[in-house]
Amino acid sequence: MARIRNEIRRLRFEHGEMTQQELAEKIRVTRQTVNAIEQGKYSPSLEAAFRIAEVFALPLESVFHYDKDA
Amino acid sequence: MPFREKTAWIAVVSMTLIYANYFWGILSMPHGGSNFSGLLGTVIALVVVQVTLTIVAAIFSPSDAKAPRDEREQLIGLRASRVAYSGLATGVACACFFGAMTPPVVFNANSLLFILVTTEIMRCSFLIIQYRRGA
Repeated sequence: MARIRNEIRRLRFEHGEMTQQELAEKIRVTRQTVNAIEQGKYSPSLEAAFRIAEVFALPLESVFHYDKDA
Repeated sequence: MPFREKTAWIAVVSMTLIYANYFWGILSMPHGGSNFSGLLGTVIALVVVQVTLTIVAAIFSPSDAKAPRDEREQLIGLRASRVAYSGLATGVACACFFGAMTPPVVFNANSLLFILVTTEIMRCSFLIIQYRRGA
């Protein structure tokens, strides 16, 4: 079963200790959604994933990791 | 607590209390009795309570209340509606089944209203569960 991991929490702290609320406002979702994404409870849409990567100025694969056999 | 979870709580609690009062009155009436004024009062009370409490909730979190539902909230809403639809279909199927029995059980408008109210409470409850889980 596939599972998607992400580095969002680490990247937030590396980018000026960005809060979840700040990231949520940048990508136009709620803070709870950002929290759910970080905890792996919710997989964002492709558009939201690209917006997150754009905030951190990184390619998508650097933010999200696809574990096929997880 | 997100604004939409607050409104779901408001809906669940207000519907449960107000409609429980209404249906208790219906059960207390002689068989086949109707209570249109009671139903009207119930609907008005529900609207007043829900609108008032929702406005209060919005005052305490104005930015959250104004923001449109994001993709996760839309998905949560769709999942809850799917669960509610299953409940509604089951309730109506039961109504049709009992209606076809001999002698037929009369499922009047209040029974259908009960099915509808129960379904809506199920939908709001499922919303709350999903928000609580952080899913």
